[in-house]
Amino acid sequence: MPKIEIQESIFFKLLGQKMKEPELVSILEGAKAELDGWEKESSILKIELNDTNRPDLWSTAGLARQIRALLGKGIKEYGFLSRKGDARDTGNRAVNVDTGLKDIRPYIAAFVVKGPPIDEPFLLEIIQSQEKLCQNLGKRREKIAMGVYRADMIQYPVSYIAADPDKTSFVPLTFDNELSLREILKQHPKGIEFGGIVENFKKFPFIKDSKDDVLSFPPIINSATVGALQVGDNHIFVEMTGPDLDPLLLATSITACDFADAGYEVLPVKIVYPYDTPYGREIVTPYYFQKPVSLDAAYGSKLLGEKLTAEQSADYIRKAGNPVSVEGDKVVLTPVPYRNDFLHPVDVVEEIMIGRGLNNFEPVMPMYYTIGRISETEEFTRGLRDIMVGLGFQEMIYNYLGSKKDFIERMNLPDEDFIHISNPMTENYAVVRKSALPNLLASEAVSGNAAYPHKIFETGKVVCKDKSENYGARTFNSLSFLVADREAGFNDVNNAVSALFYFVAREYTRKETDDPRFIKGRTAEILCNGKKVGIMGEVHPIVLSNWGITMPCACAEIDIDKLKG
Amino acid sequence: MNYEEIIKGLHPLEVKVLLNFNKGDPISAKNTMEKLSFLQGQCNQSFSWLSDKQFIEEKSRTTTVFVALTDSGWEYREKGTPEQRIFDLVKSGEPLTLPEIADKLNLENKDVGSAFGSLSKAGLLSMNVEKKASIADASKTDGIEKMKKLLDLIASKEQVLEKDLSPAQRELVQKNSKKRGSGGIFKIIEQEEIIYMFTDTGLTVKEKMKSMGITGEEIGVLTPEIMTSGEWKTRGFRGYNINIPPARVLMGRKNPYCEFLENLKNKLASLGFEEFDGPLTETEFWNSDALFMPQFHAARDIHDVFYVKDPLHAREIAQPYLDHVSSTHENGWKTGSRGWQYGFDRDFTRRMILRSQGTVLSAKTLPNAKVPGKYFGVVRCFRPDDVDATHSADFYQTEGIVLGEEVNLRNLLGLLKIFAEEVAGATEVKYVPGYFPFTEPSVEVHIKHKVLGWFELGGSGIFRPEVTEPLGIKVPVLAWGLGIDRMAMMSLGINDLRELFTFDIENVRMRRRK
Repeated sequence: MPKIEIQESIFFKLLGQKMKEPELVSILEGAKAELDGWEKESSILKIELNDTNRPDLWSTAGLARQIRALLGKGIKEYGFLSRKGDARDTGNRAVNVDTGLKDIRPYIAAFVVKGPPIDEPFLLEIIQSQEKLCQNLGKRREKIAMGVYRADMIQYPVSYIAADPDKTSFVPLTFDNELSLREILKQHPKGIEFGGIVENFKKFPFIKDSKDDVLSFPPIINSATVGALQVGDNHIFVEMTGPDLDPLLLATSITACDFADAGYEVLPVKIVYPYDTPYGREIVTPYYFQKPVSLDAAYGSKLLGEKLTAEQSADYIRKAGNPVSVEGDKVVLTPVPYRNDFLHPVDVVEEIMIGRGLNNFEPVMPMYYTIGRISETEEFTRGLRDIMVGLGFQEMIYNYLGSKKDFIERMNLPDEDFIHISNPMTENYAVVRKSALPNLLASEAVSGNAAYPHKIFETGKVVCKDKSENYGARTFNSLSFLVADREAGFNDVNNAVSALFYFVAREYTRKETDDPRFIKGRTAEILCNGKKVGIMGEVHPIVLSNWGITMPCACAEIDIDKLKG
Repeated sequence: MNYEEIIKGLHPLEVKVLLNFNKGDPISAKNTMEKLSFLQGQCNQSFSWLSDKQFIEEKSRTTTVFVALTDSGWEYREKGTPEQRIFDLVKSGEPLTLPEIADKLNLENKDVGSAFGSLSKAGLLSMNVEKKASIADASKTDGIEKMKKLLDLIASKEQVLEKDLSPAQRELVQKNSKKRGSGGIFKIIEQEEIIYMFTDTGLTVKEKMKSMGITGEEIGVLTPEIMTSGEWKTRGFRGYNINIPPARVLMGRKNPYCEFLENLKNKLASLGFEEFDGPLTETEFWNSDALFMPQFHAARDIHDVFYVKDPLHAREIAQPYLDHVSSTHENGWKTGSRGWQYGFDRDFTRRMILRSQGTVLSAKTLPNAKVPGKYFGVVRCFRPDDVDATHSADFYQTEGIVLGEEVNLRNLLGLLKIFAEEVAGATEVKYVPGYFPFTEPSVEVHIKHKVLGWFELGGSGIFRPEVTEPLGIKVPVLAWGLGIDRMAMMSLGINDLRELFTFDIENVRMRRRK
């Protein structure tokens, strides 16, 4: 979930008032935001935003905009947005798109802002919102990459082209020398970090102006000239590129609204495509693409458990920051340009909840009579646990993930039928256990100082590959136990197994078997109605020494699901 | 001084000594052994205990020296000393060389040599010109006789007091006594005899014991034999020291964390919820797609879900759910939603992963759920995370659902209130708008706990129609999840999540309920 840092002064100026901490914490709830910290010395507020569908809140201006609405200060309108059949004037500001980008990174949106010279805090603010948008909404620049440029240096029209990675070169930001696009992927830190997005294409996206001055190599890096925005600049060109148009247009509108709120004039830019897009071949951006959402007031009342008329509902929706109208029994919400999270009328219902305030809904007790119960397996397993405790065993509980070393190598087992994780964080959590015996031995290995005898057991889940299953693996419940003592041996587990089967009223037989984990001639399969349900034996000294254990151990493991039948 | 407590703690040996001697009596090992049939060890033990308690005190200490036979001594008494045997052999036959003597008597050459030396010194034998031992004067058997007499004397009494021997005998003993590291005929035993007498305290205790009717014949361990014989009717019981430090009992016990989870399940069952469960490996379909999380959702990449290396894919996803969910993602299907507007990937949806959220099982329960119905699960989930005191990669989630025509936000708040009070013991409850990809509206519940203060107990909401309708559910469904780890850690008295699953046997054995 995104976390942002906002400057107290900028925030309260945008809000039009100051706030104390408790008041702020409480109003932030309406934006699903939490105050993580307020550093009084540096005047920085740290805020966590919980709604991943509200990228408009991930900036100081955007959050302030939402809080203003919740405080009843109304909803701003933005005049720079173009709509279908209603494009704003763009002067000579245009971006021409090269046909070669269609299958690489087809879309671009742009606008220009003019206003007061940017100062250090505002520059940081621009960088932060750029990062949050591109990181979270933009999936680490894959879906959205954003660049800001010194507009004074640009001569229109700008070209967005598919360039030859080896024949195109420029000086990237933070470097002094020219590199080809391919060299940037290998040598520039941003190239190394984000290169994966483009490296498999024959040509790379590239932006330049009509003088052939380079703006950037999106989504990787700006040029060190036009692309090096500085404190004091007051004329900025903003562009975003990506593979899907809607998220790009949304991010563009969010950023444009943020600049507008900070006192900048937003100047639209015309994008000209040589191919079709969902909104035509010519799009003037920022572009409003959202559609109104209609909600039946009765549906809202049913979900909220509170009878509200269409007018009442509309009032609450408006208070939450949304333009809305009433049409008979329906309310129609027209999304603000910086939001695109109304997928279904239920999303409008939540606006009613937020506008009305959650605290104004009185909790009522659920009315249904239903019969509660634990699962049959849980009930059966509890019986087994009681017997094990009665037999003097201490219950343990373990992680199900572990290392290849512990689960396979130390157990003297071949790497068969284990579920491995393909993206482990560490080798300590890389394999799902197929048996709980390694866990029991791990316990013994670290417990040499605990008074003997050691009698421990666990019930829990294990997973084994199984081709006959739809999932290719079977998860089952397992009971396993271990006895460690100077004279621990087959009899200890044999006796416990006998008692266990007697008290769960199951017949069983034993069959001598070979298992690399146990001593040959002291290992038995446990069979129930001819089916193997478990194994018991004396742990082989190879296994013990793999674990660094010097005390003899005997173990048993039983498939609870098969035993239960 | 609490005499009764002391008397109860006395050992039967102590009791016997106290009862059987009187004021001024010398108490020694010798007379105790005679009078009470104690063994030497029992005397030492009881005198030591009684001295420690200052019931008796040492009056005098004398050392008595005894002489007894060594193993060789006993053998010589039987067969005669080497001197005797050599003399008898030579006297009964002709002169012999020393090796011949050794051979005939089966003695070591050196023993024959030294024995001949002393016989020749006594004038009994001499070496003739042929280097053979022959009789010199057969009457000079005085030495041999004396030794024989001494051996007989000591043997007849097992041991004799050194002072009872004549000076000549004492000298003989000194010459032939066992020296350090070598053999010998006699051994000298020094016995220290200590004489004790009762102290005033001892006498007081003795009187007290008499008045309590203690005889020293009280029953210690009650045995089946005592029961059968009925002996217990006539003999009292020795009191035990009930303040004795108890020994540790290694017992079988449930794991406190498992008990915590068990209690949680009981509590939820008591609130009318039925338990669900499921496999640890899951498909992307159930883990996220069925929950209307778009396949490009930020929480769905390799940083948030563990992928299974093999098998990569499930064979199939049950229909019609696959078609319904796929259409819902693409265009909303019949749910009234516009969907996520992208091409749903039907290969990716079969991709095998490790379950990353308990809500999976809530979704899987929907197709066959009863209406009205309430379900819950306390299930293990896995996520890539740097494991430390507050982060786990392998942990439990507590989740559930409520289905019903009349389910709504207000009774969701009511349900959360019950959880807060019944499950978590909250003193205050606060609701905050939340965000979850699969619920709308969404509510977080924060509670004030008497120990932990304010914290977020859980998240909840009403399942989006895009979740319920593709799975065949037409009624609203409340979905909730509770974060119970903080309460578990509090009840176990730990502050590191990793300790919930500790390998350490002693750590688990010593945990107790808070």
